[in-house]
Amino acid sequence: MNVIESKIYRLLASLKTAIFLLSFIAASSIFGTVIKQRAGIDEYLSLYSENTYRIIHFFGFDDAYHSPWFIAAIVLFATNLTLCTMGRLKHFIKTGKASVTLPDEKALAAMKMHFFAETTIDGPVISSLKRGYKAIHEEEGGLVLEKGAIARYGVYIIHTSILIILAGSLIGLIFGHKGFIVLNKGETTSSMSIRGSNKEMPLGFAVRCKDFKVSFYPGGQPKDYVSSIEVIENSKVVLEKNIRVNDPLNYKGTYLYQSSYGAAPSFTFNIGGDEVVLKERDTYEKDGLILMVVRFENAVHDFGPGVQLAYLDEEEPKTVWFLKNVERLKERNIKGVDIRLESIAENFYTGLEVSRDPGVWIVWTGFASILLGLYINFFMYYRKVYIRKTDGGIIVAGHAFRNHYAFREEFEKLKKRVLSQ
Amino acid sequence: MSHKILGIVTFLYLFIFFLHVLYFAVKKQKIISVIWAGFFAAIGLHTTGLALRWLESYRLGIGHAPLSNFYESLIFYAWSISFILVVMKKRLSFPVITMSASIIILVLMGYASISTSVEKTIQPLIPALQSNWLHIHVFTCFIAYASFAISFISSLLYFSSWKGFLPPKEALEEINYRSIVVGFPMLSAGILTGAVWAHYAWGSYWSWDPKETWSLITWIVYAIFLHARMMKGLKGKKMAFFSILGFLCVIFTYFGVNFILSGLHSYMV
Repeated sequence: MNVIESKIYRLLASLKTAIFLLSFIAASSIFGTVIKQRAGIDEYLSLYSENTYRIIHFFGFDDAYHSPWFIAAIVLFATNLTLCTMGRLKHFIKTGKASVTLPDEKALAAMKMHFFAETTIDGPVISSLKRGYKAIHEEEGGLVLEKGAIARYGVYIIHTSILIILAGSLIGLIFGHKGFIVLNKGETTSSMSIRGSNKEMPLGFAVRCKDFKVSFYPGGQPKDYVSSIEVIENSKVVLEKNIRVNDPLNYKGTYLYQSSYGAAPSFTFNIGGDEVVLKERDTYEKDGLILMVVRFENAVHDFGPGVQLAYLDEEEPKTVWFLKNVERLKERNIKGVDIRLESIAENFYTGLEVSRDPGVWIVWTGFASILLGLYINFFMYYRKVYIRKTDGGIIVAGHAFRNHYAFREEFEKLKKRVLSQ
Repeated sequence: MSHKILGIVTFLYLFIFFLHVLYFAVKKQKIISVIWAGFFAAIGLHTTGLALRWLESYRLGIGHAPLSNFYESLIFYAWSISFILVVMKKRLSFPVITMSASIIILVLMGYASISTSVEKTIQPLIPALQSNWLHIHVFTCFIAYASFAISFISSLLYFSSWKGFLPPKEALEEINYRSIVVGFPMLSAGILTGAVWAHYAWGSYWSWDPKETWSLITWIVYAIFLHARMMKGLKGKKMAFFSILGFLCVIFTYFGVNFILSGLHSYMV
């Protein structure tokens, strides 16, 4: 490695760089929370002036978390974390390989936590000292004990986990797909739409919506919505499942989520003896009578569902409401024709989110191991206890590499135990 | 019923606050034991109140844990701070710390019950929240928020010069650091459980929703804090400043995102 290379290496592997990059990622993340993300141009122009929008678009603030500079910062951070951790690990292995030594009496007496005891180094004293500790070095003049050695690995587990999570999300970004499906009851599809484009993508199988149901709380808020979905492959039903929010369907790594629903109601009218089914915006024409369904309301004031029809009366447009639950307003006479609202069908359709993410299990692995690492790192700690013969007895000294507060208590207990022997 | 109990709990916290005032006036050590007895009684009653609200929701036919709207989250935040105090009693046994904590608890309980803009009734759970991940996600997040509140208190006290009342500066630093050591893994667990839940509910474990993003920002601030403390010996006023910055992020993640920014997490009305 030449001078410049090693300088770059040191810069990339330093903690300072890590702190700088993390601060940058944190600070620049704010943009995406205050500026609307991935919206259409019209929406931006309704919020900002044209020049402001140009700046926003130029810097990629309208899709901040996928902009080149943000991704570059994360890639740099991943590199930094790898080098930083590897550097520490190298040092850790090197110091681990060095043989353990027992410092001399002077050095032990200089430690913050130490005490003398007028006792010999063998017998019950040693066994009481060793309780819970592991002897890693024994010599003529004394011994070295340790505890919580695993705590030293915590930091490596955490850092590796972060890299695993980043790798998993990268795999998801490259090989994963997201899309959505809108299905009416009884409809089948074998492709999904990609948001923000007009593209369709094959699913690799077909899905059929057998049924869709929505239930409401007494107050009117949605309680549960369920799509009964069949997965069809080679014209055979291979999987059947009720999908609800929080309970997706998984077929060969493709997840289908219940995400939304809607209704395209249809209305059955009896117009002068004929049964006619109309939807919103539909028109009906017969013998000079022109009708159009203008509006549907689930609740017209307190009277329940209603449909509004428009017609021409002497060149003048007029509207009239048909209310399903009010007998008197179910039937009307328009220009001499009896019109009766027979029924309203709600015709729900279901909105399904589709996601294929081969990296998700890698991310889960990273999650599990980071939690383990955090536990080991923060709730365990490494400490050493040294025991050495002196002229009048023994000296016991201790050192914790973190969590001095808890160790002080532990050391005091140890002291009591030894002195009471 | 739960409403009444939570009212009594609020008065109990008020009583505990006045016990502190009394302690500073007469400096009798006995009062400290009474204060702690008060905290234990309060957390017991507080837990009962939450449990009863949970039961009441079942009677209404919309059974769910009381962790679903703004009112319930305020009450639960107060509970979490009280819980952290009792769990970390040995380390937090300084009257200024417990008094400051009781003030925060009172503000949360008071805001929840007095403010007219906070809906207090038990509301049905929308489908997205109907999941067992709700419990572990909210619990871990609020334990983290509560620990960070304690570190915030010790940071503020670090700057005050209340002679004779304050614990030694090193003790404040230790409390500051220790509560972040508790809060950080909890926040991590909160974010991760949230991500797993999001995967099952929304179809993506991370969607850069403002709440998610701000929790990540908070996580990064505390991660930097811990590295600076452990590797670079961060201490003193700098450390206190840093901790306050972290807590400002917590406040924004909890309140700011809901009131200022909109997103998938906008449940709290």
